Amino acid sequence: MTADKHYITREQALNVALNIGKVLLKSGAETSRVEDTIMRFCRTFGYHDINVFATPTMIIIGDETAVNASLMCRIRYRSNNLSNVKAINDFSYNIDPPNFNYDEAMAFLRYLLQKCPPYGKWTVCLASAICSAAFASMLGGNSHDFVAAFVTGGLAMTLLRQFDGYSLSAFWENALAGAAIGVLAIMCCAVSVQCTRMNIIVGSLMPFLPGLAFTNGLRDYLSGDLISGNSRIAEALLFAVSIAFGLALTLLLWYRWGWDLWPMGK
Amino acid sequence: MILLNYPEAFAFAVLSAMAFAVIFQAPKNALPVCGVVGAVGWLVYIHLSQTLGVDSFYANLAASLAVSLLSEINARLWHHPVTVVVIPGLFPIVPGLAMYKGMTQIIEKNYDLGMSLLLQAGMDASAIALGVMAVGSLFRAVKLRQERAGLKRLAKEREEQS
Repeated sequence: MTADKHYITREQALNVALNIGKVLLKSGAETSRVEDTIMRFCRTFGYHDINVFATPTMIIIGDETAVNASLMCRIRYRSNNLSNVKAINDFSYNIDPPNFNYDEAMAFLRYLLQKCPPYGKWTVCLASAICSAAFASMLGGNSHDFVAAFVTGGLAMTLLRQFDGYSLSAFWENALAGAAIGVLAIMCCAVSVQCTRMNIIVGSLMPFLPGLAFTNGLRDYLSGDLISGNSRIAEALLFAVSIAFGLALTLLLWYRWGWDLWPMGK
Repeated sequence: MILLNYPEAFAFAVLSAMAFAVIFQAPKNALPVCGVVGAVGWLVYIHLSQTLGVDSFYANLAASLAVSLLSEINARLWHHPVTVVVIPGLFPIVPGLAMYKGMTQIIEKNYDLGMSLLLQAGMDASAIALGVMAVGSLFRAVKLRQERAGLKRLAKEREEQS
């Protein structure tokens, strides 16, 4: 077996690998993909003994000796950005060890970490509105429900994005979204008799519900990453609780305790 | 009261999956693919669970198998990474609503109903995860086997040359 020629030093390989993992986790990739990409990167450059441990909030890269360096990083804010996942995928498949430029790679990864996502705030709000409206129709709403869900979903997402700069904890963000949806759904039902409250609420909730996070947690379980699976499932349940909390609070205020939000005698 | 008119359901599902892909910042050239894959998954799910009356676990399993298969085929043909197509494609079938209903019941102190709804949501989500994992493992096993066969052939050629 020929000796592998390392084209970059061990520290450089670890740095690039750590940043690759950071970009992937911050974009919402699943743990097995993160670990797999990092290991494949290290193996391409001939470092076969590097181990990696990733959870949704932390990455540790190192090996089993006490002498060589090991790196770790913490990840506090995760969002969903599939473009970054694709960019890292292309990057790692097009790595050519003899022509690999360390500084260029680090600059590219740093650029990915801080670049603006491809769709701006208003596009995302419009997309959320369309998504809510389409889902309300899929679940059996009529055209009044379509328009009401459009308005509700779009305004709820807009309200949520306004609070981006305040770094609210995820619990309060979701509770705010739930409360906004409740208020707007009630107002839409007060405006038009043909709206069904259940259809509008259900349609508007879909972009915010953590069903996908729950499923990703189960995928982590099935891959054997128990800690990440646990954290993602707990996070998904927490989001579901917070949305239900926000929504139920608004609905209770309106219907049980008779707080008349829209004095139209309905 | 799910919409059972298949063409309309397909159109709305394409819209919702594409919009969800935009929310998740998917690359632009993958948007139509995400929409179509999500719509196919939704149609499979409602056909099985509403028209044929199959249990929701198996309906979810079949739908997620269909979605994963289509996204793996897309990854081979058009080079979108699998995750980019699977995540928006799974969006219409994921049980977010059942989880919300369960949480609402628990908040209103109907613990039995709430827990049963949450467990149903958990079973559906695990069916989806199983479908994705099964197809993913199958394709990865085939790819690894091809890679190993290719490496063995390379090593043999090098031996014959030297």
